[in-house]
Amino acid sequence: MRLTQAILLLAAGAAQAASSWSFDDASISVAAKKGSDAIKEKFSQKAPLTKPVGLGSTDTVKVILTAKEDGKAKRPHQAFVTIKEQETGLEAPFPLTVKDTGKAVVQISQKDLPVQFLLSPKPLKASVVIGSFGEARAVNTPVFDIEIQTDPNTPLPKYEAPIRYGKKPEIHHIFRPDPQSPPKVISLFFALAVAATVPALFISWLLLGANLNHLTKALGAAPLSHLTFFGSIVAMEGVFFMYYTSWNLFQILPVAGVVGIVTVLSGTKALGEVQSRRLAGER
Amino acid sequence: MRTLLSFLLLALASAVAAISTSGNRLLVVLDDVADKATYSKFFADLEEREFKITYETPKSDSLTLFNLGERTYDHVLFLPVRTKGLGPNLTPKTLHDFVNAKGNILLALSANTTTPTSLVALLSELDITLPTDRNSLVVDHFNYDITSATDKHDVLLLPPPKPIRAGIKDFFSEGAGTKLIAFPRGVSAILGNGQLLNPILRAPRTAYSYNPKEQAEAVNGDDLFAAGQQLSLVSTMQARNNARVTVVGSAEMLQDKWFDASVTKLDGKPVVQTFNREFSKRVSGWTFQEIGVLKVNWVEHHLEEEGAPNDSNPEMYRVKNNVSYTISLSEFAWDHWIGFNVPEHDEIQLEFSMLSPFHRLNLKEESHRLAAVHYHTVFTTPDQHGIFNFMVNYKRPFLSHIEEKNTVPVRHMAHDEWPRSYVISGAWPWIAGLGSTVVGFLGFVALWMYSGPVDAGKKVTVKKTQ
Repeated sequence: MRLTQAILLLAAGAAQAASSWSFDDASISVAAKKGSDAIKEKFSQKAPLTKPVGLGSTDTVKVILTAKEDGKAKRPHQAFVTIKEQETGLEAPFPLTVKDTGKAVVQISQKDLPVQFLLSPKPLKASVVIGSFGEARAVNTPVFDIEIQTDPNTPLPKYEAPIRYGKKPEIHHIFRPDPQSPPKVISLFFALAVAATVPALFISWLLLGANLNHLTKALGAAPLSHLTFFGSIVAMEGVFFMYYTSWNLFQILPVAGVVGIVTVLSGTKALGEVQSRRLAGER
Repeated sequence: MRTLLSFLLLALASAVAAISTSGNRLLVVLDDVADKATYSKFFADLEEREFKITYETPKSDSLTLFNLGERTYDHVLFLPVRTKGLGPNLTPKTLHDFVNAKGNILLALSANTTTPTSLVALLSELDITLPTDRNSLVVDHFNYDITSATDKHDVLLLPPPKPIRAGIKDFFSEGAGTKLIAFPRGVSAILGNGQLLNPILRAPRTAYSYNPKEQAEAVNGDDLFAAGQQLSLVSTMQARNNARVTVVGSAEMLQDKWFDASVTKLDGKPVVQTFNREFSKRVSGWTFQEIGVLKVNWVEHHLEEEGAPNDSNPEMYRVKNNVSYTISLSEFAWDHWIGFNVPEHDEIQLEFSMLSPFHRLNLKEESHRLAAVHYHTVFTTPDQHGIFNFMVNYKRPFLSHIEEKNTVPVRHMAHDEWPRSYVISGAWPWIAGLGSTVVGFLGFVALWMYSGPVDAGKKVTVKKTQ
């Protein structure tokens, strides 16, 4: 049983090796819209065209061939010219109209092509596929290339690729640049320039005759008030320093209040002592 | 006593829980119940996967897909029926409602029987176009089985389908070896451009579809339905609610005689086994939610700054905070949950977006658990305040949709979060000015209170002489 099956298979294979489809008398002509045949070239199953055929926007490509089974012209069931776009692999079939005698013809113009073909950067590859039922082997051979020539005056047709689910490009947020400071040298220079005004001030005061002559007299007259007054002024600066460095408003307000009260209360006495010196003509 | 009984019943009910994630009640619609025998291996495989199968003819009265607003079946399998219509219980609207209620449908068509109009209407609603001729057949004069279809070339032999693009998970061709899929006497469809439609099996480049009654001699230019890879032999549509509809163009490929049959391809190896049994198991498994089902177990995000509290999923973030995000994903594989591994060349991405994504970051696999895989990333919140979403939107062909959205506000910098002025080098002149003013003021107070006049007498006398 197995032997007969194997023999049958072998016979079937042998039979198929014998009969096959082919095509003959094949030619391609590109005609402009007027109807005159501009270019006509022949090709065959073994000799495809080497140069690509140009297809302009008003041109029509006409492919003529005769389909043959075992050398005899016959009408196949499937006779297509399939055109493939090389970038995406998209393929479109263009069935040939076949007569009973086996003569087949098809006309293709730019408007018959899918829009993706018109936007392709590389030439399109055309193949002829001929096949039918039965045991004759079908044929699928590349025959010519088509180069799309677009009309420079008309804009290219728009094509939006359909949405397909997949990963999208990564986005990393570009942050606004951090605020920058000028070079530290410049800042240091000007900081030192500003800080230098303090000794300049004190030196100019000294030159104008600044002194602390009445300090002992004032402390002798009202030591507590003077110390407390000056101390509270310094303490107030200290409160401001704490606010600058670590405390918040609600922490400094009570302290500032207390210090302020101390300043007022001690100030009346201290400044009263200064007034007494002024009234005595010493200032 | 009653509570004990009800507890036992509950335990019993959960023990016989379905293997598929969406239930195990399967309805098979066929012409007459005798057809069951030709598909016996296929149904045996389904029963082994614990489906409870009900066989009905379309015109039977007891056939209802809905009862009191709930689905009575979880899945429906249509085999070819010779009647033109499917009866009042299976109208296109009922089938449409069934899909909207997350029911899955597996349609098997045949070139020998015309497809009922209800199914054609349902498929055209899903943008799966069948040939308008009621009779159509897919043939290929290059890829046919020379043992059974020497003349008619209507049994196509195809290699098990690899994913069409990089990054798609391969469910249907793993482990095939040299086996081929036999597609006898089938109908092909053209799929629309929507992203929810995906073909599992496409026809080879030289195949075409024709009408055996009218186009027996030759296929004319104007009447060609489609050819080549535009023909989809097994098509799928996964709705946004994850319900799945599959159209298998050849019901005969599910029959017993094509499971583990021996076929020979033209110019191929002498005798090859068919992959149909495993392929039908995978196609039905995908349609009935046994494979390709994903689940998010949990999402966790927290602040990733030094010295800051990192409790999970805080209510609010600040601009320019380092945030860590982790998502845990599982995949269902036939009867249990396993961790989901993102296919090669594909990434699962987190979008941190307000109106449009400010960040779109690939999540990296961080750790594996028994039935979950954690994907993780760390990023910095943008320097724009507002209400942002953590969005993981992972939709891929043949996988169920994942859309996880967590909304979180991103606040401004608080007034005490800016860098202090003493660390800003440009502020040093101003701070020097501040300090010098304070020192100058204290000096002035001391001088004013405690200084005495100098050369007062001299000046007075000078003035008097004038």
